[in-house]
Amino acid sequence: MSMHGVPNGIVNPPRPLTDADEEAAQEKAGGFGMAPGTMVMALVFLAVFAVYYFTNWKLLSVVWQVG
Amino acid sequence: MHTGVESPRGVWWKPAHKAEKVWVVLAFAWCMVLFAMMPLWHWKGGQNPSGIRARVEPEAFRVRTDEFIATYKVGEEDNGIPIVEPPPGSDIYLLGQMWLWTPSLRLQKDAEYTLHLSSADVNHGFSLYPLNINFQVVPGYDYGLRVTPTEAGDFRIVCNEFCGVGHHVMVGRIEVIDSAAAATDEAAEELVLSAPEGDEGGDR
Amino acid sequence: MKGGFRICPTTALRVHRQADGLIKANAVAATVLLLVGGITGLLVLLTRWQAVHLLDAVMFYRVLTIHGMSMLIFFIIFFEMAILYFAGPVLLNSRVPAPKLGWSMFWLMVLGAVMVEWTMWTGRADVLFTSYVPLKAHPLFYLGVILFAVGTLITVAVFFGSLVVAKREKTYEGSVPLVTYGAITAAIIAVITLVHGAAIYIPTFLWSIGIGNVDPQVYRMVWWGLGHSSQQINVAAMVAVWYLLGALTVGSVVINEKISRTAFVLYILFISMASAHHLLVDPGMGPTWKVVNTSYFMYMAVLASMIHGFTVPAGIEVGQRVRGLTKGMFEWLRRAPWGDPGFSALVFSVIIFGFVGGITGVTFGTEQINIIAHNTLRIPGHFHATVVAGTALAFMGVTYYVIPLIFRKKVAFWPLAKIQPYLFAFGMLIFSVAMTFAGTFGIPRRHWDMTFSDALFDVQFSPAVNLVVTVMALGGLIAALGGAIYILVTVWSVFLGQPMEGDATYVDARSS
Repeated sequence: MSMHGVPNGIVNPPRPLTDADEEAAQEKAGGFGMAPGTMVMALVFLAVFAVYYFTNWKLLSVVWQVG
Repeated sequence: MHTGVESPRGVWWKPAHKAEKVWVVLAFAWCMVLFAMMPLWHWKGGQNPSGIRARVEPEAFRVRTDEFIATYKVGEEDNGIPIVEPPPGSDIYLLGQMWLWTPSLRLQKDAEYTLHLSSADVNHGFSLYPLNINFQVVPGYDYGLRVTPTEAGDFRIVCNEFCGVGHHVMVGRIEVIDSAAAATDEAAEELVLSAPEGDEGGDR
Repeated sequence: MKGGFRICPTTALRVHRQADGLIKANAVAATVLLLVGGITGLLVLLTRWQAVHLLDAVMFYRVLTIHGMSMLIFFIIFFEMAILYFAGPVLLNSRVPAPKLGWSMFWLMVLGAVMVEWTMWTGRADVLFTSYVPLKAHPLFYLGVILFAVGTLITVAVFFGSLVVAKREKTYEGSVPLVTYGAITAAIIAVITLVHGAAIYIPTFLWSIGIGNVDPQVYRMVWWGLGHSSQQINVAAMVAVWYLLGALTVGSVVINEKISRTAFVLYILFISMASAHHLLVDPGMGPTWKVVNTSYFMYMAVLASMIHGFTVPAGIEVGQRVRGLTKGMFEWLRRAPWGDPGFSALVFSVIIFGFVGGITGVTFGTEQINIIAHNTLRIPGHFHATVVAGTALAFMGVTYYVIPLIFRKKVAFWPLAKIQPYLFAFGMLIFSVAMTFAGTFGIPRRHWDMTFSDALFDVQFSPAVNLVVTVMALGGLIAALGGAIYILVTVWSVFLGQPMEGDATYVDARSS
């Protein structure tokens, strides 16, 4: 077995995109839209952001008054 | 439909899909929340790095600090740093230099002071441990922060800006005394001292 | 200078001989400086881990300086020059205009880097990456940085020239691809950065030879104009590489050019002002300046990152879905090529940059929250998640394509190469999160001894701190292993690797 390799994108390149693909993707534009998995991850990201952010304001609020 | 390495065909200024629009609106709204929090805290919150800022020659700040020490000195630490106990409401001075903070401050809980920070030589970092309150100390600039200690304790000032090879020995001290509690202790002591007259009679 | 083009067997792009050469030279230089930065990083780690505490104080601060300069300036900018030569001439099927200039600027950058490394290694520049005045280094330190910056600036000009030449000689149709657009963004920000750099390093160099004075607060302000903008070059380049890797590994779709391009433009417009977030607890500037610059301006750049953070994964998802992976919410991700190190690097780069780097950075860049973060370990915890687990990891991923496509070699130690992004990402994730957490206890950054055993007063950290720092050290060691594998694989592949099949002869279609 060879220890040398070539990444998948060169050995087995992704099928080129066509106009038919454009139409197929458009049909999905509803509800969570064309990329539902990404939308879910993006919303999780915003939630984590909000939690971290407001936790830090809380941490700040318990130290000495300074201004 | 194309990838990022292909030139887009025709005009690419096209309306976005619904999912993208939703995300951009959400992200923008969040950015507005982030923005609003800062003025809000200036108005409603207790910690803001505003301070009173002035330029000052390092030597002039050192002289001012020495005067402050001379006026309010109450003792000396084991390592030779002077201890000062300034009255509440006063302007207090802390000088950072390679590689020490001077003086050690003895403050009262819930009293407000104007803490002036500056450096005699290079940048230093004022980091109040364990509260993790941090400010940059820049030579040539006097940072006057209105501080109110909200808890009693024995605090340390760690230097957290690189200031040369002795950077890690540079630690200062702030002691905060709860004067209300101290007054109660003193009153309790007096009570104990005056008790013996009654006791002596009882013991016989 | 020899010219001619070859046709890439994989992409069908026309690749200019000089583009090949200049990409290779810059990539090799980047890897050498990455090795220097990596070794010094490991030494810093083994010193801050008090259980080992390897170096003495003098060497620690020296090695910390070398680590910062080698990684954040030399490694990353050499790699970005390689990216420019790819995104310009190669992606546009065009020639490198003025290749002699490109080569002489490469050697000027090498000279500058060597000068700076010499001053640091010989103890003439123990001033850390930021070299805050009045700390003073040897004049050749500042001069070396200036020469490196001049080399970079002129290389950027050659890149802009290649765009003009490609347009005029009609080597492509329509607008430039998005990846090239991202590289143009990075190049424009580079110009802004280097102007700031000149504005601060030239007066500081003069001061170091006895001419004139530099005010310490002004230095911090202008230096961070260079310092943060340079990070935005890294962000723009990283995002361009995200789109590139997405295209190469899974044929990801650009779902809307208008949105993605506007997001790149936001980076250019707002990042210089946003540098103010380094100065939030400084005495020289007032709250209005701080709030306006860190919010109104910075948040537009943050918005841009949040946009790309959506369009890059969404493009992968849509690309996978139109190719048949439509089952459920996440089949497109589950059945993606996780054995392709370009793909795994891409995904981990996006996730760690966003979730750890982005969130911590924006939070600490809040005027008031900065009070409980400034100069603690929270800061390096943040930027190792952005520039190391984000940018550097993306650059590592794209290297696995540069080796076969440009160097025309197969990737050596392929099983190791496949797991390298996993090791590096996992290690860096643990390292950054632990470091950020340690910083909340108040542990200072840039500090030789957190036991404070020689200090003027005792400082007793909670015992939990030792545990957190040990976790941080273990994460760092795993990441260092991942980095070492990357260097082993790339160096071996380039110099001792099996050649790729396919025709690589250069044909002189027109004069070079």
